[in-house]
Amino acid sequence: MAEVTALYDAIWDEYILWSLLVGVVTFGWLYHHSFYYRSSEGEKPNVDELEVGVFPRENDNLRLEITWTVLPTLLIVYLTYISWAPLDAVWSQVGEDGWHGDVCADGQSSNNYIDDDGYVHSECYHEIGITGQQWFWEFDCMGLSEDLCSTDFTTFEGESKPQLNLKAGETYFANMTSRDVIHAPKFTNFGIMEDVVPGQNTYLWLPATEEVAFLMMCAEYCGDNHAYMTAKINVED
Amino acid sequence: MARNVVASRCLVVFSILALAMVIAPAVTSLPTGISGIKDSGCNCHGTDPSDSVVPFIGGLPESYNASETYTVTVSFTGGPSTDGNANLGGFNLWASAGTFTVSDSDVRIWSPNEVSHSYEGNDQRSWTFDWVAPDSGAAVDFILHTNSVNGNEGNDGSSGDMWNRADATVLGFGPAPLPDVDPFKVLATLMLVSAILFGIVVLYVFYRQNPSGFEWNNFAPWITEWLTSTDHKKIGTLYFVQGLFFLGVGGIMAMMIRLQLASPGNDFITQEYYNQFFTLHGTTMIFLAAMPLIAGFANWIVPLQIGAPDLAFPRLNAFSFWLQPVAALLIFTGVFSGGGADTGWTGYAPYVVSETAHAGVSMWAAGQIMLVASSTLTGINFLTTIAVMRAPGMGWFQMPLFTWSILVANVMLFISIPAFGVGLIQVFLDRTIGTAFYDVAAGGDPLLWSHLFWYFGHPEVYVVVVPAFGVISEVVATSARRSIFGYKSMVYALAGIGIVAFVVYGHHMFTSGMSPALRFITMLTTMLVAVPTGIKIFNWLKTMHGGSLVYRTHTLWTLGFLVTFTLGGISGMFFPSMGMDVHLHETYFVVAHFHYVLVGGTVFGMFAAIYYWFPKMTGRMLDERLGVLHFLTGFIAYNAVFWPMHRLGVVGMIRRTHTYYITTADIQALPEWAADWNMQISIAAYVFFASNLILVVNMIKSLIRGEKAPADPWGGWSFEWMVSSPPPTPSFDPQNIPTLLNANEHVANEPGRLGQWFQRFMVADDAAEGESH
Repeated sequence: MAEVTALYDAIWDEYILWSLLVGVVTFGWLYHHSFYYRSSEGEKPNVDELEVGVFPRENDNLRLEITWTVLPTLLIVYLTYISWAPLDAVWSQVGEDGWHGDVCADGQSSNNYIDDDGYVHSECYHEIGITGQQWFWEFDCMGLSEDLCSTDFTTFEGESKPQLNLKAGETYFANMTSRDVIHAPKFTNFGIMEDVVPGQNTYLWLPATEEVAFLMMCAEYCGDNHAYMTAKINVED
Repeated sequence: MARNVVASRCLVVFSILALAMVIAPAVTSLPTGISGIKDSGCNCHGTDPSDSVVPFIGGLPESYNASETYTVTVSFTGGPSTDGNANLGGFNLWASAGTFTVSDSDVRIWSPNEVSHSYEGNDQRSWTFDWVAPDSGAAVDFILHTNSVNGNEGNDGSSGDMWNRADATVLGFGPAPLPDVDPFKVLATLMLVSAILFGIVVLYVFYRQNPSGFEWNNFAPWITEWLTSTDHKKIGTLYFVQGLFFLGVGGIMAMMIRLQLASPGNDFITQEYYNQFFTLHGTTMIFLAAMPLIAGFANWIVPLQIGAPDLAFPRLNAFSFWLQPVAALLIFTGVFSGGGADTGWTGYAPYVVSETAHAGVSMWAAGQIMLVASSTLTGINFLTTIAVMRAPGMGWFQMPLFTWSILVANVMLFISIPAFGVGLIQVFLDRTIGTAFYDVAAGGDPLLWSHLFWYFGHPEVYVVVVPAFGVISEVVATSARRSIFGYKSMVYALAGIGIVAFVVYGHHMFTSGMSPALRFITMLTTMLVAVPTGIKIFNWLKTMHGGSLVYRTHTLWTLGFLVTFTLGGISGMFFPSMGMDVHLHETYFVVAHFHYVLVGGTVFGMFAAIYYWFPKMTGRMLDERLGVLHFLTGFIAYNAVFWPMHRLGVVGMIRRTHTYYITTADIQALPEWAADWNMQISIAAYVFFASNLILVVNMIKSLIRGEKAPADPWGGWSFEWMVSSPPPTPSFDPQNIPTLLNANEHVANEPGRLGQWFQRFMVADDAAEGESH
């Protein structure tokens, strides 16, 4: 349903399934009780003999209460478990232990592929730089060859906006920072974003798997022209 | 008599102070007062202007002809810029009127009346472009800033650079036209004029009814009473009125936001105004609407429920309240000085202390510092009251659940809000006297604010939703004519939420570069929130089992709450899951989620509370037919507003932008249907806003000619239903506090399972057994 990235879709589908299950149980219960146990016209039997100034008699069932403490706990442990691997995939380490190997040698290709679970694996990665500033993006190809990474300008909504050209099948490691305030490049089609913070560096994996040209926006509020802080990410073959 | 003179004098002094507070911000908006960003300039490199840089604007005529195009050249000399640098310089030119057009890639347009250099253009010292004169005939001002750049790259790229400013004026050909109106001021003036007219009408009606009683001596005690009362019921009403008023103000801002977003690329309001509206919408709704509404009910109902004559510190309580309207005035002050706060309610550093943020941010911070003080004092008051002023027979585990929820909310608030106060004071000092807590260049840490804010911000959202849990617990039990299912597990769940609230705030900062290990821990703790809230929802459902559900308006809002809050809870589970959060963060999925829990949770809970306790508070019944109409229109419109936002978030629509982009032939953005959906959301939002006016009409109508309310219209058990409607003052006779009886007396005296097991080791105590009967 979602069609963002294979990784996103896999968790989304599982979550929607559990949401539906919880929703059907809760709402089924709610609708049944609110109709089945409604009082008839004019009739108001005081079931538990509530009386002003008297703490009402206890109405509990330890077994039931433990059931709906334990079952949701089990469910969330399971949901955390299935969210664990994607956590590693999104913030994979740099280097041999990670999912994207070491930095590529000259002329080496990442040859990235998506496995059955939706995770992207690569043989190696290319490093690029992204810098945010009020209110434009600056891309730095860090000496990569022209076919792997190039920067350009494009006209969008009548204004000149930066453009970053990447190559499909290659994985990039973005080293990011900001010149003034916090910004956040949002790569909608890669299903990922991360803040850029002045005075420090943050990092992000950008696995370019298929050809696409999409709009990158700033997702952390950064001032008057925040909405105009856009760029074009162009993944070519 | 002497007392009345003093009271009147106090009133005069008070009025003068209030007037001064209204006028002062208007004065600061004069050219000599607080100024906007236009004057402080550009992204200037370095802090002070340098005389060695000489900017120059060429090509402008002495006086212009209507709509004629002039070719403008801006240039500069001097400074560190020398041939051979990687970059040479930059500029920013702002014109008060007319339109710039650009023909080459060295120059770019920010807005029709503002141009600056582009990336390619930063290796120049002179730039050329066109300026199309306006046809108004008024003189046009130009402000030019230029940077002279020495070309060093990287993070310290602007070190050693210099800048300066030049102004120019081009005369027009006609009389000066009136300046453009400021929409905010028009709105404020309209509201002020309507309020004055309304006031005159009300006074006239009073006058016509009793011309001889229309004397200052008759009004003065009434006004003095409301201004100086320390009665928890009067202060509760003041809180309640304030909360409803700002719910309306925040709603009007939401309407502006929705009108702007109705279609992509809309220019109904500018980004400067949009950014103020969404910031003030958030701040208003949380701090000036939700919190006072909750404080209003807490003030009214908690002393009544625990059988206390008043709160423990009535004067402190009055002080807590009177901080609120003053704080509200401060928060909105920025609007009058030409730029209200535009930081989002989160106010992330370093933007919040940067020069590009609107001038009103300082006042916004100052106002919130006062709210922090108010909340802290309220916390002290309620914790003390609940701890020591319970009626005889009411142990901790016999307190009504609404009182429990207020206790838990105030404990959370009391522990978390100092962090927010500290952050705000740092921001205020940074902005006013130049400290450097958040100045990155001076070693300040922008993430410190995020930590301080969210350490408070996450418990804060529970502070506003937990009292709604209390209301729902009361209403479900009373309407189903049953005692609440699992009273003790309800209390433990509330306390559990109160504890978990403090260890989950990291999920707001998932994408700010935190360590993966912490991300995993926060993921787990965040999901844990679902356990106590799940217990509460299942307990509420089980309470209805075997009951006899009486359908009144408050019952409907409670059932509505159960639907929307469950949906909000389910959508909340999507965020801790990292693989999805990095996509959903800062999208409309988040907006949908927190409106489902804050409107569908807090506001629906407060609506239920209004319909439930209004007869107790005023002695008048609300109209059930209007109530049902309010519920049906409100509930349907509400879902039509926020449900589609989930999908918009999934396809990547970002929060806090005044416009959004639809996919074009060469760039992929939002799908085409997103525009239609936004239009539909905007229409539904107006229906939702209008539906809430039914509640206002209902309340006014009932106050004037509502049916008289009995002491216990719904059949509740707690003490507030024992006193008359409306309750007397003091609410309970201090000499004659009622004793809470307990229907479980026999059970309470029997040992529990553990006790029974232990008793096997005990020698039977026959003597004690005999005495107890």
